[in-house]
Amino acid sequence: MSEAKNKKDVLQGTLALMALKTLDVLGPLHGYGIARRIEQISGDLLSVNQGTLYPVLLKLEQEGSIASEWGASQNNRKARFYRLTRAGRKQLQAETRDWEQTAAIIGRFFAAKAEELK
Amino acid sequence: MKKLRRFIKRLTSWATTPRDEERLRAEIEEHLGFQIEDNLRAGLSPQEARRQAVLKFGAVEAVKEDYRDRRGMPLMESLVQDTRYSLRRLRKSPAFTVTVVLTLALGIGATTSIFTLVHAVLLKSLAVANPSELYRLGKQARCCYWPAYSQDKEFSIVSYDLYKQFRDNTPGFAELAAFQAGGALFGVRRTGARESAQSIPGEFVSGNYFNMFGVRAYAGRMLAPSDDRAGAPPVAVMSYRLWQQRYGSDPSVVGGVFNLDEKPVTVVGIAPPSFFGDQLRPVPPDFFLPLNAELAVEGVDDLNQAESWLDLIGRIRPGAKTASIEAEMRVELQQWLRSHWGDMDANDRARLPEQTLFLEPGGAGISNMRDQYEHWLQVLMMVSGFVLLIVCANVANLMLVRGMERRRQISLSMALGARAGRLVQQALTESVLLGIVGGAAGLAIAFAGTRLILDIVFPRIPGLGGVPISASPSTPVLVFTLAVSLLTGIAFGIAPAWVTARVDPIEALRGASRSTARAGSLPRKTLVVLQAALSLVLLTASGLLTAALGNLENQKFGFVQDGRMIVSIDARLAGYHGDQLAALYTRLQDSLSRVPGVSAVALCLLSPQGGNNWGGTVWADGHPPPGPRDDNFAFWDRVTPGFFDAVGNRILRGRAISEEDTADSQHVVVINEAFARKFFRNEDPIGKYFGRPGVSAGSSHQYEVVGVAQDARYLNFDFDKPISPFFFLPAAQYDIFKTGAMDPDPGSHFLHDIVVVTRTGANPSFAQLRQAIASVDPNLPVVSMQSLREQVAGQFGQQRLLAWLTSFFGALSLILASIGLYGITAYNAGRRTNEIGVRLALGATRAQAASLIIQGAFVLVAVGLVLGIPLALAAGRFLGSQLYGLNPYDPAVILVAAMTLGCSALAAAFAPALRASRISPSAALRTE
Repeated sequence: MSEAKNKKDVLQGTLALMALKTLDVLGPLHGYGIARRIEQISGDLLSVNQGTLYPVLLKLEQEGSIASEWGASQNNRKARFYRLTRAGRKQLQAETRDWEQTAAIIGRFFAAKAEELK
Repeated sequence: MKKLRRFIKRLTSWATTPRDEERLRAEIEEHLGFQIEDNLRAGLSPQEARRQAVLKFGAVEAVKEDYRDRRGMPLMESLVQDTRYSLRRLRKSPAFTVTVVLTLALGIGATTSIFTLVHAVLLKSLAVANPSELYRLGKQARCCYWPAYSQDKEFSIVSYDLYKQFRDNTPGFAELAAFQAGGALFGVRRTGARESAQSIPGEFVSGNYFNMFGVRAYAGRMLAPSDDRAGAPPVAVMSYRLWQQRYGSDPSVVGGVFNLDEKPVTVVGIAPPSFFGDQLRPVPPDFFLPLNAELAVEGVDDLNQAESWLDLIGRIRPGAKTASIEAEMRVELQQWLRSHWGDMDANDRARLPEQTLFLEPGGAGISNMRDQYEHWLQVLMMVSGFVLLIVCANVANLMLVRGMERRRQISLSMALGARAGRLVQQALTESVLLGIVGGAAGLAIAFAGTRLILDIVFPRIPGLGGVPISASPSTPVLVFTLAVSLLTGIAFGIAPAWVTARVDPIEALRGASRSTARAGSLPRKTLVVLQAALSLVLLTASGLLTAALGNLENQKFGFVQDGRMIVSIDARLAGYHGDQLAALYTRLQDSLSRVPGVSAVALCLLSPQGGNNWGGTVWADGHPPPGPRDDNFAFWDRVTPGFFDAVGNRILRGRAISEEDTADSQHVVVINEAFARKFFRNEDPIGKYFGRPGVSAGSSHQYEVVGVAQDARYLNFDFDKPISPFFFLPAAQYDIFKTGAMDPDPGSHFLHDIVVVTRTGANPSFAQLRQAIASVDPNLPVVSMQSLREQVAGQFGQQRLLAWLTSFFGALSLILASIGLYGITAYNAGRRTNEIGVRLALGATRAQAASLIIQGAFVLVAVGLVLGIPLALAAGRFLGSQLYGLNPYDPAVILVAAMTLGCSALAAAFAPALRASRISPSAALRTE
């Protein structure tokens, strides 16, 4: 039970980062757009139900990283658009840095040969 | 910061729930719309496009749930939801709800009611400013008068002289006040009013008394030190209660003159409503007079006599250390005692080094009532605690039964993905809700119960203030009740909730939930065992208390209760002097004897079980003078001729007090057997002499013993001890004091009680007796009037109430336990229908089938007994002094309690057993 929860938390943490990056790159976007984009980039590696994105978006909005409002999509459908706020941009930068650091450290560990660790 | 922001968002979004739900719904709709469009473009059929879209999106409900969890205050929200759900469920089963609420109300009400008393008597401070700064002298509360220069264990009351010594030499006290230990009774009449004097309690206090307590006047002013000087005009402060109830809050009372014992006293102010004096008393004082007014009003000069008669309470200076004040006062005490070396007798001098004192927190005042009722209240608290436990067990049982009925529903919920925690929360919400409703109903029961207990323990005397304890719940009581309700709700809800959490979802899919049913009955069995054990404790306690009460009421009193009436008068309040008394008594006797049906009349200082006592040290002639550590104490009474016949106290040897004992004849005395045994061991007491040190000038030749009376219970305390030594002096003979003066305090000659003996069958009314007394002197106040039987019965009100309440709760717990036992037995019998059917088919007799069920019930009760007997023994030990010498481990009582429990178990198991014996094997097997 607790293990499953941890896994989900990690997943949602990364999902949040992906959503922020997507909004950073593509500008204001609706939920479906964000989901599609994440899917395109991660391919089938990240098999996630699209629905799980919405609670994450809510959390980000509550934290003030993103804001949302109703608008119309290209084909004139009513949709809720999310955009990055200034705080969100800062958070993204900070988290990107953290992530890169972590990734770099992990990468170095994985790259290390047995004799180098002696 | 981020967290705070989220929290605020959550709070606001909790308020906007419906809108957010709508937003999520719209967003999901929109999302699916996009996906379907894409899928359609990819060439899927519309149906397939929608199916794929939904699949890809995932479980909509789970997302919604997750979303909700993140949005609002999930705990609050689910609480509200659960509460609503519980209310709906409870409304649907009104019988269950009413039963549970009533049972809980009884348990919580009983506990709250006792706690109200515990709070008022044991925990509450006086209604004064900063009670924590107050300290009082003495650990023990002492009454009336104690020796001047040596007191046993500690100096807890002091003389006026010693008070002044402490007051003027102890800088650690900002203010040190003194007041009469005991109290005064005044015959009160408003000057100029045409009313007869009414006896009203009052108290003499030092001038700084109100100042020390920090109590401000409700109207007028309080006493000031300037009022408490020799020669100052006598003034008084009146209680708010008397001012309001008797004088209708008349503003002219302040500044008005009242006759107290026929002496004019000016009322200068009204005390605040919450102030009831320096201690909790059954009848609080209504007048506060300066110490120096005592001489003018009562004609008694206690200020210039050596005996101790004052309680002390002081307010310490901020930052002062009580330990150092105490040490300082001990030194002052020793100095003061040494300065009175010349006034001390040999015994006082011998005991001087051990004389000491103690300072105790005085925020609650003098702890008379606390000492008296502490253990009694603890016993009641224990009893009500047990009742609450039994109630919890009973309600838990009911909830479990209810839970059984819900098993299918719960397992279905679990199969559909409900979390166990959520279901437990729901179950607990329901039980806590029941607890709170039960608690609210319990408050009403508590109010009525407290009122009832107060009325029984402290009967109201018309015209006087009742005990200053309010039955209506105060804030601490409300908090207590709320806490008890919540705890109760959790206590009886935890077992059912636990069972809920263990429901196997697979059960829902199975047809009959037979396989796991047995496991579910274990908690119920445990509860029944617990109930049986607790019931045994309560039954034993009630048996012990009832037996002890029976012993008290049916003991050999040594006097005759039937056909005797006791009329209490107070001649002092009507302004009589010592030399007028003999004539008054003769006229009263004559007048009362003429009432039809009256056969004899006698007067006495105190009647049997009258609640008063006088006592002192005794020096038997021919024995060495009593040493400092000798116990030479005896109680005494003063009586008119004919007294022993009037109360039916037999004279075993010699003669009774008679008409021949006049003021001028040899001073005589009648002693009781205990006195003869103690002071004239192995001697013939008739014709022997004894004296009272301090009364006759060092003489042991003061009284001649003329008779020995059978031992009789005159005192209303020490019932568990043998009857104390007692002697009886004639009303006509006055003692000569050490100083050579005739009795300077003729207090003991103001005979308080008139014993009126009636002929068998005759029943003169109180009005006739009152009329006969009024014909002698209309101003003579009659304090009370009751039969001797009532007077005796009145002594045991506290014990009777305790025995009665414990028996009531014992019976209640027995019924609850029997119901619980019946429930589980019937349930198990139902479960075993098949088994019994098979047994019957295989040749078991019907009696065997029935005994199978009864055995099941008895095993539970037996386990309960095994657990309960040690508890019952411990309870007997705890009752201790409430049993008045009865063996707390009385095997007969425990046996009767166990048998009562066994009989009710039999009764509870009887119906299910009968049903089991009537099972038709073929029918039982068919249901398989």
